[in-house]
Parts: sequence; structure tokens; C-alpha cells
Amino acid sequence: KGRRGQRLKSRDCVLSEIHLNVTDLGLGYTTKEELIFRYCSGSCESAVTLYDQILNNLTQNRKLVSDKIRPQPCCRPIAYDDDLSFLDDDLSTYHILRKHSAKKCGCV
Amino acid sequence: EPVISKGNNCLDAAKACNLDDTCKKFRSAYITPCTYSVSNEICNKRKCHKALRQFFDKVPPKHSYGMLFCSCRDIACTERRRQTIVPACSYEDREKPNCLNLQDTCKTNYICRSRLADFFTNCQPESRSVSSCLKENYADCLLAYSGLIGTVMTPNYLNYNNLSVAPWCDCSNSGNDLEECLKFLNFFQDNSCLKNAIQAFGNGTDVNVW
Repeated sequence: KGRRGQRLKSRDCVLSEIHLNVTDLGLGYTTKEELIFRYCSGSCESAVTLYDQILNNLTQNRKLVSDKIRPQPCCRPIAYDDDLSFLDDDLSTYHILRKHSAKKCGCV
Repeated sequence: EPVISKGNNCLDAAKACNLDDTCKKFRSAYITPCTYSVSNEICNKRKCHKALRQFFDKVPPKHSYGMLFCSCRDIACTERRRQTIVPACSYEDREKPNCLNLQDTCKTNYICRSRLADFFTNCQPESRSVSSCLKENYADCLLAYSGLIGTVMTPNYLNYNNLSVAPWCDCSNSGNDLEECLKFLNFFQDNSCLKNAIQAFGNGTDVNVW
């Protein structure tokens, strides 16, 4: 169990983080402040349910035809990190970012 | 470490705060009410003060003092330091009351009364002591000073070139109490114990205490 379980886990949907400048976010703010951006990544293969399996079958045997159907769960934030605030380079305006960074990930 | 001291210590402290989950959370928890305009007011001052008190209560001094007492060499740094408490909401007001009247207002509130008393006890200057403080304890003086932030006695830095601080009040219209008023105001503005305590924290020269 041990080895296979661990290998599977490392590919699974997890929370990762990266240390960035606020300006790296591309939101148009001018500031020298920084943040930890947390995001969800990884596979959701192990979270496939019967629902996903049925959708998969229906699209393959063409009982359902739509490009908007996603027959696999997706690794996405299921909770967001606390707000982030920072002072603009004008040294008088504060900005607050909400729901900008993941706190918990899930296959949804 | 001359390379580090040349930088903007207040900016570095703000960066460090946002990389720490607790500091980041309580920082935006006060920035939000302190910058949120309500009806025709610039903000809800009561909520801003409450969140500022929580910030200094809950965030470890390493981060909270780091932003409030950072040492500066240029105006970008000192202005950032002055903005720490969001003075447009927490500090400034349409009118500047007389300091003794403000002191009376403070005394009607339990938190303000006890924190002001702490400040007068723990930041009492003493010219004959090495530290310039009667109590010889910078940490207690800084704790008492930061404790006033979020009360009607909220102090802030007055200008760019020194560590002079004061609450939002002056001594005009003091009448016979002018001397008493100036004594009160100067305890903030011209207090060598408080200045040395802030300087020692900013320079990291009193590290044993933290």
C-alpha cells in the first residue's frame, strides 16, 4: 500500500504556494509589497465518481453531444485564503484583495 | 549588516507581515474597516479602532512593532510608517480638541483610562538613567504606547525627520490649564524614554527584550 499510495498522492490535487510580488499578479497595482499565492494543482483521477464514469460513457457512445460537458472532476479551490492588504506606492492608498488565493483544494 | 539597514525597513516589515498568516489576516482585518467609507463619513472610526486594538493584541510584536517602530532614512519609509495605523480614519478628525478635554474623554472609557495610565507609568522619562526611562524597560514602554492605538488617545508620528508623536489634540484654548496641557502633550511629543525605546527596537539594539 505504502509505495503505491504515496505515488498516487503526489499526483493528486494539492495546495501549492509561490512567493510573488503583488505586481506579478497582473492586476495593475503599483506597490513593492509581496505575497504568498496559493493555488490548486494535480490530478483528480482518484476522485472519479460513478457520475463521471457515466458522463464519460455517454459522450463516448454519443448519447450526449456537447463540448461543454466535463466528464472529469477538476482540482479547484474549495476555500479561499484570508484577505490580503497592501499600501500603494503613492503611500496613501490601501488596497485589499479578496478570494485571491486558495486555502483548501478539492476535486469538484 | 549595512546593506540591510540601507533599505526601507518599513517596507520590509510590511512584506514580512503579508508572508505571515496571522499578521496578514489581522492587518487586512483593520485595513478593511479603516478604509471603508460609510455614508458621508470617511470610515467607521469605532470599528477601525477596534480592529487596530485586535491587531496589536493578537499579532506578535516582531511583526506589529516591525511596522510601527521601523527605523527610517528617507521619506518613503517614514511616510509608510505614518500610514501604518491608517491615520485618515484612526487619527485625524475634523476638529482638534484640547488635549486635557481629550484626556477627560479617555478617562470615561475603561480601556482608554487603563492604557493611558500604563503609558504614563511605563514611558516615564528619567534623565539620570542610562535608558532615559525610570522603569528601564523599553518593551513595557512600547507595549503601553502601542496599547493606546485604537483608543481616543491614538497617537501617531507628527513629522518626517524625528520620532515625535502625539495624539490628535493641541493646547489651544487651555486657559489657566495651559501649563498642565503642555506637560501632557510633551509627554508624547518630547519623551526621551519613548524615543529611545522606539530607536532601540528599530535598530535592533535591544534585542534581548523581545
